[in-house]
Amino acid sequence: MTDILIILLGTTMLYVSSVSRIEAYVKMLAVQGFLLFFLVLVGVRGMSWLNISFLVFETLIVKGIVIPYFLLTVIRRNETPREIEPYISQFYSLLVASAIFVFGFVAAFWAARNGSAIRPLYFGVSIVMIIMSLFLIVNRKRIITHILCYMMLENGIFLLSLSVANELPMLVNIGVLLDLFVAIYLFAIFFNKINDIYDGSHVDVLTELKD
Amino acid sequence: MISLVIVLPLVVGLTTLALRNRLVNRVALIGSSLLFMCIAVLQWLGIDWTWLPDWLVMYFKFDGIGLFFFSIMAIVLVGVAFYSLFYFKEHSLKARQESVYIAEILAFVVAMAGVILATNLALLWVFIEATTLTSALLIYFEKKKSSLEATWKYIYICSVGIALAFVGIIMLSIGSESIGSLFLADLYGHASEINPVWLKLSFAFLFVGLGTKIGVAPIHAWLPDAHSEAPSPVSALLSGTLLNSAFLGLLRVQEILIRANLQTFSNVILILTGFLSLLVSAVYMLRVKNYKRMLAYSSVENMGIMFIGIGLGQPGLFAAMLQTLAHSLSKTSLFLTSGNILHDYGTKKIDEVRGLLKKDPVTGWIWIASFLSIVGIPPFPIFFSKFFIIRAFWLDGESWLAIVFFLFIVIVTFGMGSAVFKMAFGESGGDSVKSARPSVYAYTPQIALLIILVIVGLNMPQQVHELLDRAAAFLSNNPGIWARAAGK
Repeated sequence: MTDILIILLGTTMLYVSSVSRIEAYVKMLAVQGFLLFFLVLVGVRGMSWLNISFLVFETLIVKGIVIPYFLLTVIRRNETPREIEPYISQFYSLLVASAIFVFGFVAAFWAARNGSAIRPLYFGVSIVMIIMSLFLIVNRKRIITHILCYMMLENGIFLLSLSVANELPMLVNIGVLLDLFVAIYLFAIFFNKINDIYDGSHVDVLTELKD
Repeated sequence: MISLVIVLPLVVGLTTLALRNRLVNRVALIGSSLLFMCIAVLQWLGIDWTWLPDWLVMYFKFDGIGLFFFSIMAIVLVGVAFYSLFYFKEHSLKARQESVYIAEILAFVVAMAGVILATNLALLWVFIEATTLTSALLIYFEKKKSSLEATWKYIYICSVGIALAFVGIIMLSIGSESIGSLFLADLYGHASEINPVWLKLSFAFLFVGLGTKIGVAPIHAWLPDAHSEAPSPVSALLSGTLLNSAFLGLLRVQEILIRANLQTFSNVILILTGFLSLLVSAVYMLRVKNYKRMLAYSSVENMGIMFIGIGLGQPGLFAAMLQTLAHSLSKTSLFLTSGNILHDYGTKKIDEVRGLLKKDPVTGWIWIASFLSIVGIPPFPIFFSKFFIIRAFWLDGESWLAIVFFLFIVIVTFGMGSAVFKMAFGESGGDSVKSARPSVYAYTPQIALLIILVIVGLNMPQQVHELLDRAAAFLSNNPGIWARAAGK
């Protein structure tokens, strides 16, 4: 069951790297939130009640519903064009994505053989999610896709932290979630401002400051 | 005491937001900065108390190096607080804007204090991310088009960088499964049990993440933009304290590697990035057109020097700590003075500022003195820290690196000096009338900082020496790369 969920998470990243509509990104973000929620539910054994309820809140409510909905309203408010406008074509994008997958799994099996108690699938897919988000960030022109890919990066990191047996203290968990939430909120505020002040929302407009 | 540092400024900030009264604003800002100073002094004297619940107390602690960084922050904050009074007047801010500014400054300061005092690596991460979020609004405070660009780059680049640092923390907890805790004390105590492969991997990620925040090359992209577009007191706070607090985070990680006997790995990375930062700042220093950006590149250079000092291990530690102290105070003075120049000339372009000494003599002399301080002309303390680093290279038998280091700092000094002197001398063009004396707050903080620097440089008081020694003792088990190779 866990394996299927993780493979589905990896598939969302492949899907994201090949679609060209921004709404698809937001939908995949919500899907990732729900998949992470199910992963938490499946793997709860040995956790404290407090921690479980916090994780459920974090994945289902924040990552699955609140943030995608919030970003969707931001997109609608700014009437952003639908296309994401990549620097390289979808085909090559997908090709790179596959290469990242290969790398992720090689890294995971290497890590597992190094005597660490990690689960290769967990570890591999989270590495893939992290690297692929970084790749998508540098390969997309629109600022809104940068925000969406940042969320995917955070999801990848969350998956990685699930693969670790050690629980973080509650205070830290709350702090991490609060940071994430405020970051997304600020991103949206500044994104709105950039949209209002500049014509368009490409990163190309942000080239005034240089030496 | 810790509760005062973490909780009180937040309460004060919220109060100013609620009241929006000019008098309350001023009392809040100056009072909080003096409170930080008092706490630093009480800690020097060894007086401490707390009324936080036990489960919270274990997350925060003053240790030797933390106290050192906290003291620097307190000094810079007092200077910035007084200068802000001039900033308010100059920009004729409304009471509401002042309240917002003060609340943001206080939140930013709390986040930095959290980084300095945190005893848990993951909590330290939370506070570092919080410094990004709280300072972003400050950088955008003047609401100009260019500051929007700077803010976006700052918040986005730093958030992604810090996210990678969290990957590093997770990797550390994979490698330290037997320890089962991310409290620094536990990690230090059981460092030898951590799997070395995972520890190195996690250091690489943490280095990229924290390095982004520290602003070393090649991950310094946000730094010149944010420093040049923020209001001058905020630039001073960014350069004088924010970079330091992220630097302290990296030092705490470096200590884990030292305890695990992997310091050669991290020393090499530190020295390489240190030299790369020197190279980048030397190149840009010669072509930069904006004096606030020039100061920002100087920060990149100084962070590089601090990295080299740490990477050199035991022989360079004291120099790195002295450099940290002197850089923060000098750079605060420079950035605050750049606010005066901006006030006098209304431009940030080096070419449009001439005859500063005639137009505004006090600002002109402070500008020159602060420049002499930052490039390390005796009697200013940076002379000694650079000298100690060159000496450490020499003693390690790496005289060619000492020469390269010296060459870089000469280029930086030349580049910065030619701009500073061009601005200070000459005729001030159109209106050679002396500008109206802005306000006593526009000068006193810088003069006070420079006096402190001269005292430290000429005859270091025993207390300061002790503070530096206690800070340098933190990483002192690191013999450095070459000493290790030679089996000394």
